[in-house]
Amino acid sequence: MIQLQLKIDPIPIVEPLVVRLRTSPPDLSATESDHDAMMVSKGTESADFDVNGFSLRVHTRQAESLDGDVVLVVPGRGTLHRLIRASSNHNTLLITEQCDQKCIMCSQPPKKYHRDMFDQFLQAIVLAPREATIGLSGGEPFLHKARLMEFLRKAQTARPDIRFHILTNCQHFEPADEADLNSLNMASILWGIPIYAANPTIHDQIVAKEGAFEILERNLALLGKAGAVLELRTVILKSNITELEELANHVTRNLSFAQVWAIMQLENIGYARMNWETEFCDTSTEFNGVADAVDLAVGRGLRTKLYNFPLCTVPPAYRECCTLSISDWKQKFLPTCDDCELRSSCTGFFEWYPEERGFSGIRAQ
Amino acid sequence: MKVWPLQFRKLDEDDILFSDDAGAFFRSSEAFLDRYVNNQLTDHDSAFLKLGGHAFDAVGDPAFVGFASRWTQRINPVTSLGYVILVPTLRCNLMCDYCQVSRAAENARGFDWDDEKLAQVIAFLDHQPTTEIKIEFQGGEPLLRLDLLVAVRKFCRSKFAKSEFVICTNLQDVSEDAWRFLEAEDTYVSTSFDGTSELHQTQRTKTASAHEQFNANLDLALERLGTDRVSALPTIDPLNPPEPTDVISAFVSRGLGSIFLRRVNYQGFARKKYGLGKSHQEWTDYYRRFVGALINHNATAEHMIEEYYLSHTLRRILQGGHHNHVDMRNPNWMGVDYLVIDFDGNFYPTDEARMVSRVGQIDLSIGSLNSGLDVQKISAFNQHASNFDDPDCVHCVYKAYCGLDLVDDLSRYGRIDIPRHQTEHCRSHMDFFDFAFELLYSEDPDVHKSIASWLQVPRYNQTMAQRHP
Repeated sequence: MIQLQLKIDPIPIVEPLVVRLRTSPPDLSATESDHDAMMVSKGTESADFDVNGFSLRVHTRQAESLDGDVVLVVPGRGTLHRLIRASSNHNTLLITEQCDQKCIMCSQPPKKYHRDMFDQFLQAIVLAPREATIGLSGGEPFLHKARLMEFLRKAQTARPDIRFHILTNCQHFEPADEADLNSLNMASILWGIPIYAANPTIHDQIVAKEGAFEILERNLALLGKAGAVLELRTVILKSNITELEELANHVTRNLSFAQVWAIMQLENIGYARMNWETEFCDTSTEFNGVADAVDLAVGRGLRTKLYNFPLCTVPPAYRECCTLSISDWKQKFLPTCDDCELRSSCTGFFEWYPEERGFSGIRAQ
Repeated sequence: MKVWPLQFRKLDEDDILFSDDAGAFFRSSEAFLDRYVNNQLTDHDSAFLKLGGHAFDAVGDPAFVGFASRWTQRINPVTSLGYVILVPTLRCNLMCDYCQVSRAAENARGFDWDDEKLAQVIAFLDHQPTTEIKIEFQGGEPLLRLDLLVAVRKFCRSKFAKSEFVICTNLQDVSEDAWRFLEAEDTYVSTSFDGTSELHQTQRTKTASAHEQFNANLDLALERLGTDRVSALPTIDPLNPPEPTDVISAFVSRGLGSIFLRRVNYQGFARKKYGLGKSHQEWTDYYRRFVGALINHNATAEHMIEEYYLSHTLRRILQGGHHNHVDMRNPNWMGVDYLVIDFDGNFYPTDEARMVSRVGQIDLSIGSLNSGLDVQKISAFNQHASNFDDPDCVHCVYKAYCGLDLVDDLSRYGRIDIPRHQTEHCRSHMDFFDFAFELLYSEDPDVHKSIASWLQVPRYNQTMAQRHP
């Protein structure tokens, strides 16, 4: 598993610090910055970086793999956070851990307290590799709508080449936000928005918020009118699998301005771990619910993707829809996968995937 | 709840096809039609219409915005010029039966671009704002002037971020230089192959030796360029058509997966003699028989085959979009994204417009390399380019999928205002859509298997073809 936090020797700072680590001189195409921390020496267990005259010792055996990484150091802490890993396509900034929904499969259960890190995040965007896609996630990022919109405007001005993938439950827009939304460069933002069923009662039960579906629908229409590029996301559960084909109809009829529909398998962490027995659908033995929905959505011309489905759990005709959706830092393969010819094109498993109560149809292809 | 306007067409006794302006459709009964017309919809009707996206509650609600979005996707947007057909020479080394007007003898003079024309063509392309372009070389036989093709391609590759080239060639004489030219990754071959060797020889190549030469070159093209970069289009005479299974096996044996059946399109004198009116039913019958044979083939075949126009139409019916065919798009903008430049430098909105003008029937040119685009004539065309306000089309159940073909109307009737259902374009497309909907509503698993392959979906989900009691 790729480490997102690394041990450091604490340095004397009072404010959180964002710097870009450099183990080789920056190439000409990179944006130069006085936030670059050059490596000055390297041992077998650690490397020292020069942060404006201070020495930052990072405990790592692979200092070179950190080249170009944008990292955050918090005063008094013995770790640094790799906010943006230069070598990865899976970089996400956690805007907040607060949330107004309590989805039964939430992989990142909400917490009460919020720490505003927008200034640091903006600095990180400025230092990001060219044309990177940066995820913004939570919790629910738009609980801090004013700060987030300000951050997006500044970030888009400073770095028009950066693309954002924002995950939001779409509960916090108002008609009055239309002008603000229109002031953003909508073409470079992909909005990932969960919808679990076309039936309001079922959706509301899954997100544990009464009336959520109605607000979601209203705001999807609002985003659609603002020209947002939408990725609708549906985690399949025992609670909604029988509703999936109806959702396919709803999405292709009423949300036809969406560009992508992602049908997602469950990630066994957070609330999903607690509810795994009652909610996990073993699509390796029963794929029909997904198949009918995919047939309808693709038949009507909607780009439809299967996230977090290992290829061997999916009938061959549907594997084209599978994508490498599991982020590199939490992806693993099983011993069975060693002999599989499809391994390199397979998304694999979450690090915390429970083999003993997971898919029953895992076999090398 | 408000219901979007529904068009309808009686298919059979108590069996009516309904559709709305965004292309959603269903089949229902006379009784439902009565309830709809008399504003007596039941709760069950309302729920069905709501679920199908045919109705909304309030302006701006998701059902409304969803409908608006689907409607928009069916409108062919105005884009900049990105597809140019060039005719570097009108000379040809074949004398096919149905080609009376678009060729000159191989040794004739004065039918090629001279240096000045080439320079003008390049200057014209240089002024286009697009970053992507597709150039189709027509003729005559364009490979007779390989030098001009080389010059244009070289320029386009340097000027545009992306460029592709389609060479419409009879593959009769292909020099080694020409083969090397065709082998480039951005270059495609489109040729005619009338379905069976016998027919192709009778209609086109004439002598056994010439036919052998074509045959060998087609095989060589597939071998050197691959089946993805070669397409072969059969021209069919409905009064003397080849046996569908023979055509299919000829394509299958060559590894070609797409057949675009084209009905012979006579111009001028020949049109009167072999009149389309006379062969309308023959064509419809043949087309259905052909698709039936395709479905039979696909039922057991490993590599499935499509009829291109049918696949394209099914996608337009179910998905909207797909504005890349000039015979079926709405509005059918003329002289906007697509342009034909003839050997003499005249501009035409379509290849058929070029033919019609050549026989002297009517001048449909829209400017020339010398005088530029004739903006007035183009806008005269485009005032009538859509079926939105055609008095007949507005009531048609197939309106959302279809489009107009002004050039065809002008070429046949000399005017564009005769009742739509009397035009050849409308009659043949009505038959064609009727057939497409028959397939969509078929219960035959073999039909489903073919439709799935044509739509490129794993399985055909029949809930796309809704029925309402």
